[in-house]
Amino acid sequence: MSDAKKETLVMEHLVSLRYEEELTPILERYVDALIDGRIVGHKCPQCGRVFVPGKGYCPMCVVETTERDEVEVADTGTVTGFTIITPVAYYGQEETEPFVYASVLLDGADSTLGGQDVVGIPHDQIHSGLRVRAVWRPKEKRSGNAVTNRGWGSVASVIDAFEPTGEPDMDRAKFEEHIF
Amino acid sequence: MSDVAVVGWAQTPSVRLARESEVQLLVPTVAQALARANLDRREIGFTCAGSCDYLTGGPFAFVSNLEAAGAWPPIAESHVEMDGAWAMYEAWVRLQHGDIDTALVFGSGKSSPSQPAEVWAQQLDPYYLAPLGVDPVSLAGIQARALLDAGKATERDFAEVAVRSRHNAVDNPNAQVKGDASVDALLAEPYVRAPLRKHDLPPISDGAVAVVLARGDRARQLCERPAWIRGLDHRIEVHQPGMRDLTASPSTTLAARKAGYDGGPLDVIELSATFSPQELILREALGLDAGANVNPSGGALAANPVMATGLIRIVEVAQRIASGAADRGLAHATGGQVLQHNLVCMLEGE
Amino acid sequence: MSRVTTSTLEFPYSRTVGPIVGAFLAGLREHRIVGARGADRKVFFPPLEYDPNTGEALTDLVEVGPQATVVSWTWVDEPTSKHPLDRPFAFALVQPDGADTAMVHAVDAGNIDAMSTGMRVQPRWRDEPRNRIDDLACWEPLA
Repeated sequence: MSDAKKETLVMEHLVSLRYEEELTPILERYVDALIDGRIVGHKCPQCGRVFVPGKGYCPMCVVETTERDEVEVADTGTVTGFTIITPVAYYGQEETEPFVYASVLLDGADSTLGGQDVVGIPHDQIHSGLRVRAVWRPKEKRSGNAVTNRGWGSVASVIDAFEPTGEPDMDRAKFEEHIF
Repeated sequence: MSDVAVVGWAQTPSVRLARESEVQLLVPTVAQALARANLDRREIGFTCAGSCDYLTGGPFAFVSNLEAAGAWPPIAESHVEMDGAWAMYEAWVRLQHGDIDTALVFGSGKSSPSQPAEVWAQQLDPYYLAPLGVDPVSLAGIQARALLDAGKATERDFAEVAVRSRHNAVDNPNAQVKGDASVDALLAEPYVRAPLRKHDLPPISDGAVAVVLARGDRARQLCERPAWIRGLDHRIEVHQPGMRDLTASPSTTLAARKAGYDGGPLDVIELSATFSPQELILREALGLDAGANVNPSGGALAANPVMATGLIRIVEVAQRIASGAADRGLAHATGGQVLQHNLVCMLEGE
Repeated sequence: MSRVTTSTLEFPYSRTVGPIVGAFLAGLREHRIVGARGADRKVFFPPLEYDPNTGEALTDLVEVGPQATVVSWTWVDEPTSKHPLDRPFAFALVQPDGADTAMVHAVDAGNIDAMSTGMRVQPRWRDEPRNRIDDLACWEPLA
């Protein structure tokens, strides 16, 4: 289609919405701990499941959780599911090279950390069950900048990626209900 | 047509800024509504929620919100990108099938993280209105001037609405803007969007509300004095503000008539007038006289948690019926801009 | 001192306009304003694809204006970056001569005292049209 014809048929409109939000008190504590080198979540007093970060409630039991229910989890875990994303150019896209998008189930947690990078291993060797440990930024480079109230949690701007520990794979039965 | 009643309810106090996330506001609210209805969440037959992700800018925020209802074991649920009053409409329709007895409804919104003027412009015609950044306060200002030009109201009338709202809100622990003000003092304030002043506008609010519905004898089992929904209807007008009469609300009149409002006595009326001139327009549309008990809660001028405001009006009427303070009430909810879309709910004690 | 996260959500839309809105925008480029005439001879402005009251397709485009009347208005003291003007202005319902309904648009009157219901206005055109409603940059009091 010629540019002139396209121009008459299309109207351009960039919608731009600004947001400014204080972190919830639970996420404040979560970020404080992260910067201090610890990963914390909430353990449900009813079913015992641990959600990282804590949500202030257990989504399975719908009971409230508070600071009293805070527990620490390990910075080691298992890749339960993953994909390699080939970036497509679109407005706002910053990635240019294929990148890893993995769910990591930290030891002691029942919820996964999503969208994690896995380094130190070729992409085609990444697999579910892979044992990994967090790659922490040096303390002076850590910040809570990338953690927001949205979504289901993040460790970005403190933990950049996960790398293989070299341990044997986790038994599938132990993580098959925690894929996503 | 099945008889459906409000048997449980709860709301958060509306505040300018809630530190909790939207779902964290909803979890205790839903729990309290269920407790009041003497129901376990697993007994609920259908869940419907009203909310808008654009208020907090969180994609799939409405999915997170569902955790307040508990989606395990799996539940039958729906969502509307509208005020919770429309979520209640859907739940009420669902209950008419007669195969389930109870429904859970909730509405919520945190406007504090965003610029409401920017977000609201996105609901407007994408060709003729949104690119101009037409905001809801400007449209309300245009509507207010039209009302003045038509000789239907004065700025003093607007201020009197605000004074009544704040005064009534003093007795409402959930209201945000409350107190006793004088009409003259308010009229001395500068315009924000002439002819509207700050007191003519709603506050920016964060809040949540939940309602439990039950059908027939189940409602009588769960609640001593259920608030029966005798009629529920909603009507929408043309989108373009320049193609409607902004000084009247024919859709409210029609919705009320279809909901069974016959002009008879009403003990309590709660109207979703987010701008003071709109209360005058709605009073006229419903044929209410000067002595009518309008917005004893303070109304939307006292608290405006967007997507919850209309459902809160229903709760304010229902709880007065349940307590025996009222026998017959009307609750109104609105959507779109400047009263484009209006819902009327008639509630009655047995 | 709690942490605050800021973010911007952006949606870069390229919207197809269709024959009616497209004709309206093409008209703006040529400094013409068009409305759509319905079955009862009523001219809807801005032009819509369907009669909002009957649902009938509208195909009859007629030129309206260029002069118009302000039907109602409000004053915007502190415009935001999303508004069409960066100085105080009026948002108004503006009804061009020959049209039976009004559009919402900005009136660059300079001062709130220059605004009144019933005042007469004329269009101001954007120098470089970009196929958008604000190719009609705003309305201004008649010279």
